[in-house]
Amino acid sequence: MMEGILQGLYTATTPINLLMVFVGCFAGTFIGMLPGLGPISAIALMIPITYGFDPSTGMILMAGVYYGAIFGGSTSAILINAPGVAGTVATAFDGYPLAKQGHAGKALALAAYSSFAGGTIAAIFLLIAAPALASVSLSFQSADYFALMVMGLTAVSAFAGKGNFLKAILMTGLGLMLSTVGTDQSAGIQRFTFGQLDLIDGISFLLLAMATFALSEALMGVLRPDAVNAEAEKATKGDLGSMKLTRAEVMHVAPVVARSSVLGFFIGVLPGAGATIASFLAYGMERNFASAKEKLKFGKGSLRGLAAPETANNAACSGSFVPLLTLGIPGSGTTAVMLGALISYGVQPGPRLFVEQPAVFWSVIISMYVGNVILLILNLPLIPYIARLLALPKQILTPLILFFSLIGVYLVSFNTYDIYMMVIVAAIVLAIRLIDFPLAPMLLGFILGGMLEDNLRRALAISDGEFSFLWERPITTVILLITVVLLISPLWTVFKDRRATKFADGEG
Amino acid sequence: MTITKDKAGAFAFLVLALAYGLNIGDIPMLPGDEDEPFNAKTMPIFLAWFMGGVSFLMLVTRSTNENGSDPVVAAFTGLQWGKTAQLLGLMIFYGFTITFLGFIPATILFILGGLWILEERRLKVLLLTSIPLTVIFWYILSQLLGIYLTHGELFFMLGGTQ
Repeated sequence: MMEGILQGLYTATTPINLLMVFVGCFAGTFIGMLPGLGPISAIALMIPITYGFDPSTGMILMAGVYYGAIFGGSTSAILINAPGVAGTVATAFDGYPLAKQGHAGKALALAAYSSFAGGTIAAIFLLIAAPALASVSLSFQSADYFALMVMGLTAVSAFAGKGNFLKAILMTGLGLMLSTVGTDQSAGIQRFTFGQLDLIDGISFLLLAMATFALSEALMGVLRPDAVNAEAEKATKGDLGSMKLTRAEVMHVAPVVARSSVLGFFIGVLPGAGATIASFLAYGMERNFASAKEKLKFGKGSLRGLAAPETANNAACSGSFVPLLTLGIPGSGTTAVMLGALISYGVQPGPRLFVEQPAVFWSVIISMYVGNVILLILNLPLIPYIARLLALPKQILTPLILFFSLIGVYLVSFNTYDIYMMVIVAAIVLAIRLIDFPLAPMLLGFILGGMLEDNLRRALAISDGEFSFLWERPITTVILLITVVLLISPLWTVFKDRRATKFADGEG
Repeated sequence: MTITKDKAGAFAFLVLALAYGLNIGDIPMLPGDEDEPFNAKTMPIFLAWFMGGVSFLMLVTRSTNENGSDPVVAAFTGLQWGKTAQLLGLMIFYGFTITFLGFIPATILFILGGLWILEERRLKVLLLTSIPLTVIFWYILSQLLGIYLTHGELFFMLGGTQ
């Protein structure tokens, strides 16, 4: 393990990789700050750029972008109450009131310190947890992988939020359907290609990710314009105030940061949960822990209320790398995009990655720590200047995002068919967004579809076509039982709510 | 009767599942494959039934999501459809022009068109955003990274050579 860490440290600290962390953090902060563009779009926009890179360098850049985007989302949440990322919605609860009280600088500094602490503590956890889990998962067989993938897809739906369970299931199914387009991997038979040569290799992952997130986000901003820009201009032209935190304030938030780091990391490890749930849970937990007097401050500019979600969302980002690096199963939309990128580099994530490509495995983990340090060094002095980017007019930004999305996909295939496909996908995604169906499950379904089918095929072949493989191995059975619990829990909540409503109606 | 967003979505998915299911018949099979426990049709058949079942369930059950109960028509009205459609058209136009005009002219036209659709009328902004950005990007790609960007059919039609 020590050898691996040293190898990772060596790879992560080469000048080119340090430069990539720096560029990633900066680009991620900028993109994440723009309302509507989250880490998925930021990473998707980076993929074409990283195609010629060494896998470690590419992943390091994307990890930097991920962290930067989360931090950038916090900046817009604090300054203009417009979280660029869902994971920073809870940051706005107390960050924006603090900014309105004239403490924008302090709020931004606290966000930077909390993100740093959360990311760093979680990176240490990752350093311990990832190799341990990777060693265990070396014994996994096709049946276990199949069960894990079913669990991952179910978890994404189960955590989709109240009333969104069936919608998320449908979107996951849509992703799985899209993954069946093209040539069947084992039999070499064409499926759903409709005689189109361009569909023989299936739908490109990059095309789908770009059209679903980057293109549709930009078009959504045109379709449903908001009043953010005027407020952004006002906020970024004003004085941000002092960025210093007093010793008492640091002592006041230190336990919050410690608790939220642990919570955030473990929530991040769970497939489907991610930064959003971690930040809300951390906020809720701190509110419950607070004294009656402190509780009143929540939502009105509480430092603890700001530190908790900020720490947790960054810790969750690190946690979400555990299933990706050790099992090859992404737990969130963002890590699904990263998985797609890794596969396109010719690297298959999973337990073998730890053994066969230790440089990639360890350098990504080490780069997270380096990324957190760079994010802190970069963001604290640059915050007032970076914040000005928030006021960049949308009419200039939108055509540029559209251009970078289109050219990013075109440069991979040099096929104009991909441009037309992107337009069609983006138009369909716009309609899907308008009826409020979640998009991340679709991407996860698309990424896992091929692997799911492949593992099911192998598991069935090993068990002579019998479905007994589902309960023959304890690991498979346990994973499937967890899946059933995940599947039932939202349905149980709905049932309980309906019974309560019925009971209340009867009483009334 | 008002059709809600959730019901409209569920109906669209039901239609999709039906269309997907009907197309499974077109998947060719290798001799003897039909007797295998898993063949090229297995996953699509499962998905068609699964999606059909879930979308039907969503159609017949009451929505528990507050937003999902909003009328679908309201979700699609009062939006800037004109500009969005023009941008979608511009992207298709870019697909046509990039091979015909070549990277630089097509990209300049695309960015100019996008800015114009979004009501940017300042000549200085139009030119300073589109031309330098395109040229810098072209330089990075073709001169620094060595990526070949086509000159376009027009260039060769006018007698240009590689």
